Amino acid sequence: MSDLGFAVQLAEDLSADDLRLVLTVFQTDVQRLTAALADAARADDAAAFRRAAHGLAGAAGVVGAARLEEACRRAMAGGGTLGAGLAEVGAMAEGALGDLAAFLARLGPTT
Amino acid sequence: MSGAARVLVVEDTPTQAQLARALLAGMGHEVTIAESAGAALVAARDWRPDAILLDIELPDYNGFELMQRLRAEGIVTSVIVVTANASINVAVEAMRAGAVDFIVKPYAKARLSVTLANALEKQALAAQLSAVKARLDRDQFFGFIGSSAPMQAAYRTIESVAASKASVFITGESGTGKELAAEAVHRASPRVGRNFVALNCGAIPRDLLESEVFGHVRGAFTGASADREGAAKLADGGTLFLDEIGEMPLDMQVKLLRFVQTGTYSPVGSSRLDRVDVRFVCATNRDPMLEVRGGRFREDLYYRLYVVPVELPPLRARGDDVLLIARHFLAQFAREEGRAFTGYSAAAEQALVVFAWPGNVRQLQNVVRNIVVLHNGERVELDMIPRAVRRVTDERGPAVPEPAPPPEPAPTARVVRPDVGVVEDAGAAAAGEMAPEVVPLAVMERRLILAALRQTGQDVPRAAALLEINPSTVYRKLQGWRADGLLPAD
Repeated sequence: MSDLGFAVQLAEDLSADDLRLVLTVFQTDVQRLTAALADAARADDAAAFRRAAHGLAGAAGVVGAARLEEACRRAMAGGGTLGAGLAEVGAMAEGALGDLAAFLARLGPTT
Repeated sequence: MSGAARVLVVEDTPTQAQLARALLAGMGHEVTIAESAGAALVAARDWRPDAILLDIELPDYNGFELMQRLRAEGIVTSVIVVTANASINVAVEAMRAGAVDFIVKPYAKARLSVTLANALEKQALAAQLSAVKARLDRDQFFGFIGSSAPMQAAYRTIESVAASKASVFITGESGTGKELAAEAVHRASPRVGRNFVALNCGAIPRDLLESEVFGHVRGAFTGASADREGAAKLADGGTLFLDEIGEMPLDMQVKLLRFVQTGTYSPVGSSRLDRVDVRFVCATNRDPMLEVRGGRFREDLYYRLYVVPVELPPLRARGDDVLLIARHFLAQFAREEGRAFTGYSAAAEQALVVFAWPGNVRQLQNVVRNIVVLHNGERVELDMIPRAVRRVTDERGPAVPEPAPPPEPAPTARVVRPDVGVVEDAGAAAAGEMAPEVVPLAVMERRLILAALRQTGQDVPRAAALLEINPSTVYRKLQGWRADGLLPAD
């Protein structure tokens, strides 16, 4: 699922090199925090799950990955099981990483 | 604030931290990242940022608590709270905790730039305001004690003129601190590393004054057995303070005028022309213009020296400064004399405030010294205050200044203060030796002490200094003589 606003604001504000660096850090954050969410869900640790979701929501908000951010905020608010939250966030994270790969490809190689 | 600022970004999510770093560095600011509140506190202590971009949710403790800790440690910086929640509650809570502004994530570069610029500007204005307030409210200035409006005006003038070489002309009644003002001009100036040379024109015999100012060469006059540098040479690169300038003889005024105009002079007995770089500060307790009109002071010299006037107000015009000064002297003298005094009773303070203090600060200093020497206790009570001062309060009469201030004491003729004081009495050099009248030692002691007091305008510390004894001794002697009926009661 693609996010039309992905990295639009960043591209306006940053040089290509800075943009690439921020997006690379985002990629690392998504991988690290989705792993943390999975660990927390397995351990049924709601507090750890919320902390990881909060961090991922912030990172997603920064790069304009709106669907991922919304999924994280729903997961933080609770209501469902941690597993259900993890599944939704995981799907949106996959989409965001896809958007990221496509964006980086359009951006071209490092100068 | 314009230009680069130091910005501490407190953010535990690397993507957000990296974005903030990239945006701020692109604006030309220095950036440091802290990933926890604890790390931020350490960075704020060590790095002293101009602004902090603060996320509220942090792994150890939250941003509000961090703001409290920063305040508790006296770390002054502009905190901008970064929040994902744009609610009014968060904004109010952030401001209440001490943030200057808040910014909602995700934010664009333009928004961050404006928010940061406003915060830095606000902080710069607050710093300026506090510096101005500190200057306007100060109650001490280079040895002066006092926060009254006329003293603030004097402080500002001294401060403004200090950096220039312009001549300063200090006027004020006896005991208002003219020499202190002259020293303040010197100490606040770039000349502070060189000599401050004070010369009391009224205390030097007229035939010695030229030699005191310009020095002399060996054989210039009877008794000039060696070359001697004058005050002008000693003050080279520094400040020459001519106290009681109105007492200077007219023929000497001509020579001084030439010196002021050209910066050159000839030592007595020499045709050599010496050049020095001297800043002139003069003082008188008379109205200098009246002296000019009366033909006692050269008009051309007056205009050369009267460039920046500093008028020192009489103590009676300084409101509550009387109490500030009285408390300062009480603490100082109690320490020196080993007394327990820590303050004044309300009635005693009232007596000090309503008295007219014709002898100004010097008289107040003597009164407080008198109290401390003759009494003890925690508080100075009304009945410890000398009757002459108390009388005004007893009679509930107005604080009317006496018609004329006591005569200016005749201080040491020349005082040179590089940092360590060197004091010379020029008058003694001129005085001929006479066989003294032989009288009982106690009588001679009383005569000498009373003579010293007369000579110094009843200034006990100065009289004691001339006699090279402790002021306490003078006070105790006076008390004893009064008790014995050798002196009238005060």
